[in-house]
Amino acid sequence: MNTFTKNIYLFWQGTILSYRALFAWLRPVTYMASKILMPLAQMFFFVFLGSYATDGTATDFYVIGNAIQITAVSGIFGVTFSVGGDRDAGTLPYLFGTPANRFMIFFGRAFMHVIDGTIGVIIALTWGVLLMGLDLSRTDLPALGLTIIITTFSTCGLGLLMGCLSLLTANVMFVNNFVYFSLLIFSGANVAISTLPVWMQVVSNVLPLTRGIAASRMLVAGGSLSDVFPLMVSEIGIGLMYGLLGYFLFAWFETQAKQRGTLETV
Amino acid sequence: MNYSNLFKYWRTVLTVAEMSLRTQFSEGFVIFAIIFQPMIIAILAMFMLKDKGGDYAMFVVVGSGLTGLWSSLLFVSGNSINVERWTGTLESLVGMPTPFEVIVFGKNLANVVQSLLSMVSSYTLAAVLFGYSLTLTQPLLFFITLFISMFAFICFGLTIAPIFIMYRSVQQWENAMEFPVYIICGFLFPIALLPEWTTPISYLLPPYWAATALHGTSTAMMPLNQVLFSWAMMIIFSLVDLVIASQLFKIMLYKARVDATLDVD
Repeated sequence: MNTFTKNIYLFWQGTILSYRALFAWLRPVTYMASKILMPLAQMFFFVFLGSYATDGTATDFYVIGNAIQITAVSGIFGVTFSVGGDRDAGTLPYLFGTPANRFMIFFGRAFMHVIDGTIGVIIALTWGVLLMGLDLSRTDLPALGLTIIITTFSTCGLGLLMGCLSLLTANVMFVNNFVYFSLLIFSGANVAISTLPVWMQVVSNVLPLTRGIAASRMLVAGGSLSDVFPLMVSEIGIGLMYGLLGYFLFAWFETQAKQRGTLETV
Repeated sequence: MNYSNLFKYWRTVLTVAEMSLRTQFSEGFVIFAIIFQPMIIAILAMFMLKDKGGDYAMFVVVGSGLTGLWSSLLFVSGNSINVERWTGTLESLVGMPTPFEVIVFGKNLANVVQSLLSMVSSYTLAAVLFGYSLTLTQPLLFFITLFISMFAFICFGLTIAPIFIMYRSVQQWENAMEFPVYIICGFLFPIALLPEWTTPISYLLPPYWAATALHGTSTAMMPLNQVLFSWAMMIIFSLVDLVIASQLFKIMLYKARVDATLDVD
């Protein structure tokens, strides 16, 4: 088997096993409660709040924003736990003891969550259409699908970085929740970014989701793929930036942990 | 479950509450749930509701505070017995002479008191960061309502905790129970926006009556008879909760002492 094939095999094995390890202990009902009902309830809360704020004139704005934001459940929580899970399960020393390609191991942790997150957004949009009257009649659906996948990918990039931070801190739940909820403000899911203070707009622009949500709104309003293409390229760039930052942090963490013998001391 | 024990063992209640507070303030998730999450929700709501006019800032402070109160009740009080199982101290607590309900009551008291911080943090945020001048329209009635609401939340927590430990199938829905209560109880928008069939569900939940009375006495001149009605509903639900909790504790202690299945998942 040549190196390329071995690495692909490693990527796939890591992808499947880390995902199964994360959810195998759960019963389907727990998965449903955490990954389907909780995000939907959150979406409905902000949609109702938004409808109340605008007297029902901008419901679509909130449905689209919050449906796309649901990808952060997989992108932030799922990916972080997949990366950090190795320390919790005590498998980190074995992982760092292998000669396996770190790049493949690391990015393999996020792959299933891109699929999982995409499905979550599609479910949310479906509920938006059925219960909230979201009109997709003018929408380029393949372009919207591509936008959702790219947005989920970029959010998983941030998740990979957060996963590495979870190897350095004991307060994983605090950090994850803080980032997840902050995205509700900064991503433009619930507040038009142009109405935020300037410093908040600057933060919004370096986060994943922001462009994905904006692009989705444009597509639902009748825009075409070429209209949102620049936003999508930026979104991919942001996802790659966070993913690579996470990878370098992961590599640094491994070096430091091996040199200092501090692999599981946090 | 003998509620006179709460008076007989009042010092134990306070000691348990103190210990709980000390322990929980070192937990990142608890700090997030009672301080940061309500603040983020408050920031969002302030941006979203700013064109509503009137006393929306105080409305947001109270509403986001209630979200912290409910999240704390659900995740911290709901797991106040479970956490003893996770740390391996449940059998010792059940086996010692101090009544178990006294300990759980003390823990819930601490949880509800500390979750009032969510209202304080939202108030500070609105006053300091957003520069609002916040005043309560009926301060005396507001603080009495707050006291009754705390009691109602503690009693509600007493029913949730034994359910979560005995019926894992219910506890599995915990993550999905947070936002629906924000919606159905009208913490940040009126329940009139919701489909009509949800209204009876709202009426059956003590947090709805707490939200109604707290909003009514903080941002509007709620007529006294309506305030009294909300208080009465909270007290009635609290008494019902205490009766239900009493039965649940009996079943739980039976399982602990006779079936020996308390620590078995």
